[in-house]
Amino acid sequence: MKEELRREFQAATDSLTAKAIEGVSALVDVTLPGRRAPRGHLHPITQIAEEICTIFSTLGFRVVEGPEVELDYYNFEALNMPKDHPARDIQDTFYISDNVVLRTHTSPMQIRVMEKQLPPVSVVAPGKVYRPDSDISHTPMFHQVEGLLVDKGVSFGDLKGTLTTFAHQMFGRDTKLRFRPGFFPFTEPSAEVDIQCVICKGDGCRTCSYTGWLEILGSGMVDPEVFKVVGYDLESISGFAFGIGVERIAMLKFGLDDIRVFFENDIRFLRQF
Amino acid sequence: MRVSLNWLKEFVDIDQTPAEVAELLTMAGLEVEGLEHKAQNLNDIRVARILDIKPHPRADRLSICHLDAGKKEVSVVCGATNISKEHIVPLALPGTSLPDGTLIKEGRIRGEISHGMLLAEDEMGLTDDHTGIMILSNELRPGQSLSDAMDLEDWILDVALTPNRIDCASVVGIAREIGAFTNKKIRMPEIHIEEGNTPIEDLASVTVLDSHGCPRYAAGLVDQAKIGYSPFWMRYRLHVSGIRAINNVVDITNYVLMELGQPLHAFDYHRLADGRIVVKRAENGQTFTTLDGQTRDLDDQTLMICDGQREVAIAGIMGGLNSEITLNSVTVLVESAYFDPIMISRSSKRLSLSTEASYRFERGIDIQGADFALKRSLMLIAQLAGGNIAKGIIDCYPEPWSPARIRLRADRANEILGTTIDIKQMADHLSSLNMAVRAVDQNRIEVCPPPFRVDITREADLIEEVARLIGYNNIPVTLPAIRPTEEDYTEFVLRDRIKAMMVGMGFSEIITYCFISPRSADILGAGEKSHLRSFVRLLNPLSQDQSVMRTSLIPGLLSTVRLNSLRDQDDIRVFEWGKVYIKGDGELPQERQVLAALITGLGSRQEWYQEPREADFFDIKGVAENILEELGIDKTEYNRNRPKEGFDPNEYARIFYSGSEIGAIGKVSKDVLKGYGVEKNAHILELYIEPLLSSVVWVKKFTPLAKYPSVRRDISIIVNSSIESAMILSIVKEMGNDLVESVDIFDAYQGKQIAHQEKALAVRISYRSDKRTLTDDEVNNIHEGIIEEIHRQTRGRLREGRKNGHPG
Ligand SMILES: [Zn+2]
Repeated sequence: MKEELRREFQAATDSLTAKAIEGVSALVDVTLPGRRAPRGHLHPITQIAEEICTIFSTLGFRVVEGPEVELDYYNFEALNMPKDHPARDIQDTFYISDNVVLRTHTSPMQIRVMEKQLPPVSVVAPGKVYRPDSDISHTPMFHQVEGLLVDKGVSFGDLKGTLTTFAHQMFGRDTKLRFRPGFFPFTEPSAEVDIQCVICKGDGCRTCSYTGWLEILGSGMVDPEVFKVVGYDLESISGFAFGIGVERIAMLKFGLDDIRVFFENDIRFLRQF
Repeated sequence: MRVSLNWLKEFVDIDQTPAEVAELLTMAGLEVEGLEHKAQNLNDIRVARILDIKPHPRADRLSICHLDAGKKEVSVVCGATNISKEHIVPLALPGTSLPDGTLIKEGRIRGEISHGMLLAEDEMGLTDDHTGIMILSNELRPGQSLSDAMDLEDWILDVALTPNRIDCASVVGIAREIGAFTNKKIRMPEIHIEEGNTPIEDLASVTVLDSHGCPRYAAGLVDQAKIGYSPFWMRYRLHVSGIRAINNVVDITNYVLMELGQPLHAFDYHRLADGRIVVKRAENGQTFTTLDGQTRDLDDQTLMICDGQREVAIAGIMGGLNSEITLNSVTVLVESAYFDPIMISRSSKRLSLSTEASYRFERGIDIQGADFALKRSLMLIAQLAGGNIAKGIIDCYPEPWSPARIRLRADRANEILGTTIDIKQMADHLSSLNMAVRAVDQNRIEVCPPPFRVDITREADLIEEVARLIGYNNIPVTLPAIRPTEEDYTEFVLRDRIKAMMVGMGFSEIITYCFISPRSADILGAGEKSHLRSFVRLLNPLSQDQSVMRTSLIPGLLSTVRLNSLRDQDDIRVFEWGKVYIKGDGELPQERQVLAALITGLGSRQEWYQEPREADFFDIKGVAENILEELGIDKTEYNRNRPKEGFDPNEYARIFYSGSEIGAIGKVSKDVLKGYGVEKNAHILELYIEPLLSSVVWVKKFTPLAKYPSVRRDISIIVNSSIESAMILSIVKEMGNDLVESVDIFDAYQGKQIAHQEKALAVRISYRSDKRTLTDDEVNNIHEGIIEEIHRQTRGRLREGRKNGHPG
């Protein structure tokens, strides 16, 4: 049956070709789909992480990467979180041994980079991070992009300018931002950065818990204790650091409310990006 | 920390709306995560007086209350037993909805009409008390709105505290912040104590044997207290703060804890041997039963409160069952102490016991505030439980606190912040936070932070306080001049190129969890010494299935295939670029980057222009070849010398390039498919990025385009099926020297039309010289030589008469 149909179709095509040869244009069903090579899709997390890194690369930041199985020293101790520091409690941690953890943030890259070079430092460090949490807004593995700028005369105003540029490029030029005090043991002053809710434009909705604002990243001026650890001269330099949650940005941009779908890898989900 | 706005207003005048207060605190660094309007739905609930109570004629447990509801009298059926004639009670008339959404309707209960409902505290969302109907003050008039009559309307702020701001884990702490940002003074509660004549020293004593663990221990005593139920206002405030009411004395200790941030503990004085308090370390192997009835193992790092004979509390964490306040207690000894943060933190972790008290002690409380909080609690006990306060308090505080002196340089602060703030303004801001400020010179001030600001020890901390008070949003926005630094991008360039190619070849990228089940090594058939078994193990995994770091990306690929096939998605091309983690001798494992890709289901779909075709080995091989060509890696070897874990032994190859293994391709073995619950065949490619990186040709060199014509010749040959086509190609290249421009296999056949154990291959050779036009003779000569050599090495038969198409 199929073979028969095909033969008929072939015959029709041949006669069309014949007409074409006679100089009469053949009638082609232009609404038939074209012959397409299969097309794949980059994972939405990759797309957003690349977009973030590209924005900062354009500003002059260099991309670096580092280990995910990390020494307690880099993940906590060198970042001004000695054992018994209460800030360790807010970050539950996967332990490999007493001295080795799955990094809970990309911030250890700050230390690893500064240990290897003198200022000026301008890097972004994307990568996977891990915390033992699993619910609609937490997965035990997720992605961050760390940023660090150290040089003479880097100020909190510079931090604001850099992150404002980032938010404008990521979410649009008219995105409103606000900076508010936060706490990270390795920055002082520390700042949480909110953008005006992309869903309700500030009127208040479920996504923004009716505040009109969405937290998109944490940042701050590098704490002098951190400079001490890497042997930088505290008085002659200053710097800022920031950490961006890639899933968070992706969820806001793509309008997702369950973080777990990123790691299910349902092909119908992946094809949407 | 949940705090009532009405409670805050006792400490500081607040003109702002609740939403403005929330905004103000959030912008001060105390993020308000929730704002709850309390008693907003209670306007319809009326005050009513019980005129008469009669038993329900047809139900033993119910009664019929006749009530004065102001404008009218109503009857209500009620099951509570705590009410009697003349009681003032809350009444919900028909049409009223309760905070939980219940709509009160007029109804018949066992034949008697009920015009509404009398309410317990929990039904109005005020506390969690459901012991009976709420009994109101006799001073309230029937008919009044309950909410107005009792001033119940309130807002609860849910404040997310950062670990550094433990001083704000109290009503007074949050009030101080509001005061600093609104230029309002704080009102502390006034203490009025009517002391008895007996000095406390005659009744009790305190000995601190570990002054490092306990730098301050204060105690007070109230005799003849009557333990009972706390008044509504106190239970309400505890309830909104998330604390369960127990009895008036315990409630008071919790109330003062929430109010001032000082944890207190009340002991039953008569259960303390010799009226003594001794602060010392426990001994290893001791056990102790805490208030919650749990028996805890102690060690010599645990600080204990003891009496004349035994332990009575774990210092700073939880009291003991053996000395707790009960309804029979008469004399109360209240402890108000400061314990060493690190000691409490360690003990709390070791005991897995975290309490409101330990949470505060381990972050550092206001050591100077211990006596004030103690006196506040003694006053409240005397007010609410009666009794006589002993004369004086005991206060073991051998080394009183002295403030830190921190220098702040205005120019440094402005440099860090990017501002031009006047030094005077900085001083004013810091003063508003209860800091003592003294000018040193035109650029410097000396600052003494108050005792409750344990987070402020350095100039950087002061700079942050200045920034907070100025308001982060008032700091000018500037852009830094970023100086370029050395770049080393090779790896990222490679990754981006390969990922783009994968997408171009129809593969979608997946990201799977890097922790997998340790069974994966067994499923993949890993040998005992295989690197697939060199797992990095998590000490505290979420589950056994996620308890080791992956040593291969194949489990993630196959799990993805399974998930999708359960959702009817069977034709899949996916890839993942990620790390595998191989435990070695070092403290940290090797993290190796791998690209893994998988094809399953159809290699090409049915379309109007093509027939469907199942994917096979050569689909995945084509992917490998495309990528390697893009990277400038030619002369790869597909090698089958050693079996490859997880792959079908008849359909796999390891890929080598100049001696190093850079990848593998093949069909997933049946056992592995079964292990991951995958039904259809799947083909996989793995590329190992680190060895690949060193092979990549980063700069491609131009070869001049040919000027002279080429000559094409085909060879069609039948060989034993064990002969690999690569062998024939290499013979051609070797024999042809530099005159063979290219050689391609354009047909390969195995099947019915030729003998079993044989296969037909057709090869097209393009001869060309870059120096001259080749003559026919020249080409024939070389071509004959090549045919002869192929025949010699393969023992194959040359097929005559056909240059193209299948043999047959
Ligand atoms: Zn919103």
